[in-house]
Parts: sequence; structure tokens; C-alpha cells
Amino acid sequence: MLGRVEKKYGVVVVGGGPAGMGAALGARDHGEDKVLILDREPEAGGILLQCIHSGFGMHYFREELTGPEYAERFLQKVIDHDVDVLPGSYVSGVVVDSGGSKKVRIMSEAHGLITVETKSVVLAMGCRERTRGAVRIPGTRPSGILTAGLAQKFVNLKGYLPGKRIAILGSGDIGLIMARRLTLEGCHVEGVFELMPYSNGLTRNVVQCLEDFDIPLYLSTTVACIHGRDRIEKITVAPVNADLKPDMSRAWDVPCDTLLISVGLIPENELTQNLGIGLDVVTGGPLVSSTLETSMPGMFACGNVLHVHDLVDYVTREALLAGRFAGEWAKGVRRPKDNIRLVPGDNVRYCVPHTLSPEREHTIHLRCKAAMKPCKIKVGNLMEKKLRFVFPAEMIMFKIKPDLLDKFHDDTLRIDILPLEKGERVD
Amino acid sequence: MMIHCVSIFFRLKRERGLIEIKQYICIGCPVGCPLQLEHEKGQIKEVSGYECNRGAKYARQEFTDPRRSMSTTVPVSGALRQRLPVKVSGAIHKDRILEAARNIHELQVTAPVEMGQVLIKDFLGEKGIDVVACRSMKRVADTMTTFRTKKLGRNKTGKPKK
Repeated sequence: MLGRVEKKYGVVVVGGGPAGMGAALGARDHGEDKVLILDREPEAGGILLQCIHSGFGMHYFREELTGPEYAERFLQKVIDHDVDVLPGSYVSGVVVDSGGSKKVRIMSEAHGLITVETKSVVLAMGCRERTRGAVRIPGTRPSGILTAGLAQKFVNLKGYLPGKRIAILGSGDIGLIMARRLTLEGCHVEGVFELMPYSNGLTRNVVQCLEDFDIPLYLSTTVACIHGRDRIEKITVAPVNADLKPDMSRAWDVPCDTLLISVGLIPENELTQNLGIGLDVVTGGPLVSSTLETSMPGMFACGNVLHVHDLVDYVTREALLAGRFAGEWAKGVRRPKDNIRLVPGDNVRYCVPHTLSPEREHTIHLRCKAAMKPCKIKVGNLMEKKLRFVFPAEMIMFKIKPDLLDKFHDDTLRIDILPLEKGERVD
Repeated sequence: MMIHCVSIFFRLKRERGLIEIKQYICIGCPVGCPLQLEHEKGQIKEVSGYECNRGAKYARQEFTDPRRSMSTTVPVSGALRQRLPVKVSGAIHKDRILEAARNIHELQVTAPVEMGQVLIKDFLGEKGIDVVACRSMKRVADTMTTFRTKKLGRNKTGKPKK
């Protein structure tokens, strides 16, 4: 029920976005009756509420939905499953006692300071955007510089326009979508500037958000300086050399009153860190076993807090799984510990989960370092999978069957992405 | 031999500028194949540059009838948020997107609204294509009253409980 909170739960989910709602549903579907979702915003739904464009739900709902539609349908499902949802509540900490039971400390708008006891916790706090500080742009510090997702929140939820003449640094999907969004709202977008020689967003978004509206995309170009005293007045942009340093001899000025920054996302793990849970330095998320359990027993993680996903449908799938294991844990099921460690090899940036167990089928998520086409994924000596292409912006997923792992007697399994050898072909 | 003749004929036409070429980037997957579509007075002659059939299909669709889905927000009063997300229920021609946005932005909506509620029927004169609300929005005034009643121990009419 919306707004209800009791003293004891089986599973408490931190975060009411797609990951949190999916985890609650997963726990509920596997027999855990007492599930609570906590969210700091005035309503659950997370980032979906401000993503008003369509393209969500093709896998899970089998139709193309907008973000708010996906959120509302999912929230309805969660409430129909008798999950308690408490928006306007902030988790300030989790205390774990020696018996393994957990006390979640909550600051709630409606209930004040409360503590809820639970057997397992699912971390589903999502991620946040990298800011100007993360990319170190020289120049003054005027107003009018904000991340693309914040601008999205202003425009789509609050009804404020951040400015009239917009420049966008970074060609991530949020930046591209905001270029179109602001054009529809009557702003002029001066251009999108991308450091790398390729766009970081989907081709679909480059075509439908930029080309359709004649917004220029400058590849291998970056913002070299910000000008303006109180409000941003112009930026200096410059093409970059092979070492990604701006070449100031070819620089030019772009007048603008707003600079949007869309340069990547970081999992939001302050709560995780305070608990002393082990993090993966590459993903920025916690280290997890094949049951999506963190280094602290009974604490699970899923969604963008674990690693940044491409699609909400993938988040939902992962969350349902994490919820299932959290629910099992709450009911006292203890699975044998994983005994195989996954190690990223050639051209693999990271893989999640970090360990495997031979007792189940696993879905491995990984990201490559560099684009390659065609190529093959090699999992130790167990299996090979040929692919037409891999791109850093596109998550790679594949399954490992338990019978394969049964034959494996080592403790580390290395994953490589390699070019095809002579005579090999992709079917 | 036959094919050879056709190709020579084709090349001649191209050299005389009778065949025009349109360039597209396929959006089917991240590879983004550069597509060329050759046409003579709007008649498609050849599509090339694609690695899979999605590319061929996409170029033909883009040439004959390029359509886009569209969503935006409209001002809403009496709700928790200031904007209501709305979408056009079917794809519209890509050249009409800005016109569509201008039309939709004239709307003024008052809460409560239900998800899927039709705000404009047969939008831009296209039968069966509507502008619909993408989410439900309750009246904030209602929710605020219940909240206050609970806190202050008042009943719904606002009078203190006996």
C-alpha cells in the first residue's frame, strides 16, 4: 500500500525506480509477503518519470512505452502485489547486528525518524550524472551550466526552461534527447560537441534527435573554455588531437546562455560505501555474486547502482532476479557459495556478476573497451560465441549453461573478446 | 548478358544525372550502416550499403514515408507536478513534428488526469491518431486535505473532531 510502513519486513528495497520496483516484485513472486520500497522523491518511479520519450518496455511489456507509462504500469503492479511503498523517505543508514538481521534507519516526511527491521535489503539507488568537475573544463564558474538529466527534470517535471541558446557537451543519449526536447520547446541548440571520434549515443538518437532538426554534431571536439561572469555568455570549442588534447589553433567561439553536460553516469553508492561493502573500481558498483548478493550477507544490489545499463528492460530483468534471491534469503534459504571467479580479459572492461556457481544458469553482462567487428567472445576454454559487432556503448549479454560449468575445475574463468581467426565466419 | 546490359543502361542514366542518390544512416542497430538509395523521379531503383535486411527496409521507409513517434509535456494545474507528459498515439510525418509540438503546447490541463486519457482526438486531421496523457495525476488539493485531516485530527469538512 502506498504510504504504509510497519515495524518488520522480510525485504526492504532502497530506491523506488525501475530496479527497486522490479526487486520488490521479484521478492513477492517468490513468496516473501512483507516487502517495503523506500524512495526519497515525492513519488516512486525514479528517472522514468522525467524520460517522457518512448522506447521503453519493448522486452518486458512487449510494447513501446514512454517512461512515465512504464513507471505507472509497474507501480500499479507492485501495489497490486501488496508491496508497501513509502515515498518521501530517505535511508540514512543500515545497522547490521551479529545475528544478521538489519535495521534500516529512515527519515520520512510522513512518519519522522523511524527504524524498520528486515532480514534482507536490496540496494537499488540507481546512478547520478558526472558533472563539470569530473571533466575539468577550464574557465569561469557562471550559472547556466548543468547536467543534461537535471535540465530534463527542470523541463519535464517542473516546467522551467534552462535557457534559450543551448550548447551540449557529450553525445550520450540523455544529451541527444535533450537536444530534441529543447528544440521542441522553442530553444535553439547550437550544437553537440563530442570528445571521441564516434557518438556515445544510439544511432537512432543521433538520427532522430539531431539530424531531423538539423542540429550539428561535432565529433573529436571539446569545450576548451567557459566564458561569462554571472551567466555563461559563450564557450570556446576546439577540435582535439590524437591524444584528446584540444588544438587551440583551430578553436572557435560559440555564443550560448546554457551549457548542458552529458558525459556519463556514476552508480550512487554512498550508502554502500558507508556499510563497508566491497566495490568494483571499474563499474563503480558493488562486487556481487551470481545471486547478486554483495560482500555483506543478505544485502543485494541491482540496476544502475550495480553497473550502468542501456535499457530499462535489462534493469527490470536483473532486478526481478535480485528480488528473488533477496526473498529466498529472507525465508532462510542459503545457497552454496560461488566457487568460480570471473576475470575480464582482452578488450573486456568489466563483467557482472563477479563470481559464478555451477548450480544454475547465469546471464553474464559485460562491456568491451573498444569497438570490434566481427569478433568472438571466448569464455575460458568452455565456450565461444561469435558476434557481428561489439561497441563500448552497447552492453553484451550471454548465458552460461550449468552443464558447461560442471566440467570446469579451476577457480578463475577469463573472458576475452578476440578478433575472428582466418577462415572463421559469423553465421 | 541481360544483367550486364541493364547495368550499363543504369550507369548511363546515373552519369546523366537522371538517377538521384539519397544517403541515410541505418538506425536498426549500433553498426549504423551508411545507406544509399538511388531513385529516378521518386521511383526507387536500388538500395545499397546495408549489412542486413533491416537497412534496406529502413531506407525504403525513410524515402517513401518517414514517420516519427512524438512526445512532449503540457502545463497542468492542481497536480503535484507542473507538467503532464503527453504523446501522440501513432507515428506522424517527420516534417510535421514542430507543427505538432506548437499545437500540443496550447493545451491547458487540470488535474485529475488518467493515463491514456485522450486530450486531442484525430490530431492534425489524422484519423485514429490522438494526443493522450502518459500518466495519471491526482489533484494535489485532495491529497493535501487528507494529509492535513489526519495530522490535525480534523474530519473532511475541516471542523475539529469532538
